[in-house]
Amino acid sequence: MRISQTRLRAVVLGVSATLGVCQAFAGETHKESRMEIAPGGTLTVTTGGGSVNLKQGAVGAAVVAYTTHSDKVEVDRTSTADHRRIEIRTHVLTEQKPAADESKVDYEISIPPGVSVTVSTVSAPITADGVSGEMNLSSESGQVTVRNANRSHVIMQGVAAPVSLTNLSAARIDIMANSGAVQLTNVWGPKIHVATSSGNISYQGDCSGVGSYWFSTHSGNIDLALPETASVDLAARTYNGTLENDFPLQKKSHTSSSPPKQGSSFAGTSHSGASAVELQSINGKIRVKKQQ
Amino acid sequence: MNCQQFQEVLPYIIEHGGNEEEEGHLRTCPACAELVRDLKYIADQAKLMLPMYDPNPRVWSGIEHALHREGLIQEGRTSRQGHITTFATQARSWTPLGWGMALASLVVFTVVLINYRPQLPKTELAAQNSTATANQLNSEDQRLISQVAQQSPEAQPAYEAGLREANAYIEDAQQAVTRDPDDEQAHEQLLQAYQQKETLYQMAAVRSLP
Repeated sequence: MRISQTRLRAVVLGVSATLGVCQAFAGETHKESRMEIAPGGTLTVTTGGGSVNLKQGAVGAAVVAYTTHSDKVEVDRTSTADHRRIEIRTHVLTEQKPAADESKVDYEISIPPGVSVTVSTVSAPITADGVSGEMNLSSESGQVTVRNANRSHVIMQGVAAPVSLTNLSAARIDIMANSGAVQLTNVWGPKIHVATSSGNISYQGDCSGVGSYWFSTHSGNIDLALPETASVDLAARTYNGTLENDFPLQKKSHTSSSPPKQGSSFAGTSHSGASAVELQSINGKIRVKKQQ
Repeated sequence: MNCQQFQEVLPYIIEHGGNEEEEGHLRTCPACAELVRDLKYIADQAKLMLPMYDPNPRVWSGIEHALHREGLIQEGRTSRQGHITTFATQARSWTPLGWGMALASLVVFTVVLINYRPQLPKTELAAQNSTATANQLNSEDQRLISQVAQQSPEAQPAYEAGLREANAYIEDAQQAVTRDPDDEQAHEQLLQAYQQKETLYQMAAVRSLP
């Protein structure tokens, strides 16, 4: 049987391409497992690079899927006998430090309701989509994103990690970001506290929920954009920075404290002043504006 | 007794109270009285912070891993929080360094508080000089930076910039407290500044664990 030259070339090309793809994925391993966890339990993830994606799962068990990109790392998964604690950790196997790409692990984890999560990464971004409950997140430089959740409690620490929180209702937020910028969009709840050293803080929303909103920075800027309907009791103060306000606030008729002796400040209420909003900086600029 | 002699025994006075001579100096010297008042306030606030800012769970889990590796806890034995089913082995052990860093992060913050020295009011020029000093890294900071650099050189700039910024924050907040000791927000800013620095130490300690 004779094979035409054109067909032979096509076969050779196809085989080469297949081999190339196989080689590219040779070090890649994907695993998935279901790990039983009791209500009120904790799940801890510790990793360096790659990514960590969290989503809400079904009651009773966490589903942990991960992809390693080389045979120089493995994932340790441990669980206590009472199923109250799961720990997942990226573990380097070799004495010699693997390259950044080789040590990456990508995690996809479904979290049952009522389970608290702790994630620590070096450069891996952390994304939590639709996850309620307590999340303790820390990253040196990976982007931290939390969105679309009700009654979530986010405690976050970072060195240079940017933070983005979007569409969180009845939330409790406690962020200590050093130089990472923190962006909050449509986030409201009883406690929204953000502190940075040099990272900028921006908030866009209505500060609803009769909450305590507290944003503090040393040299970052604070930008607050409120709709005209926002009901806030707002106080802003900077020691060496500047203040700008174009949001309509009514001055309080009487105040218990005298104006500060140093720096500049403004304060006032809008509507019934349901939520307390406090903005503080040492050197950073504070801007409050009306949402368009 | 002069101010210098008084300040040399200040940590002892804060902890245990002073003798008659020291108490006498405290009554007659407003600068030292203010210094003691500020230090006591910060020490009190720091005590309140402790339960709120427990070490990251990574610290505990890292220590537990290290103990398993060292064989101090046998595999399969019930741990502090239950039974650990499996553990991978690792040839190189970082246990002493891990313990050291975890403890160091707690100790360093206490030392920083004890050695805290509020500045007396300064001229603009002196204030600029002091900000320049704040941007300098002390020996503890430099040790931390070199430890981070040994583990991952790419992380060093972020930690170094963070520590410089935290030091400048502490310095600026300290000046605000000194200018107006009754300014509650200035005290709050000073606590925030120390917490920012503590966070950096804590995260660096965690990354050093296996």
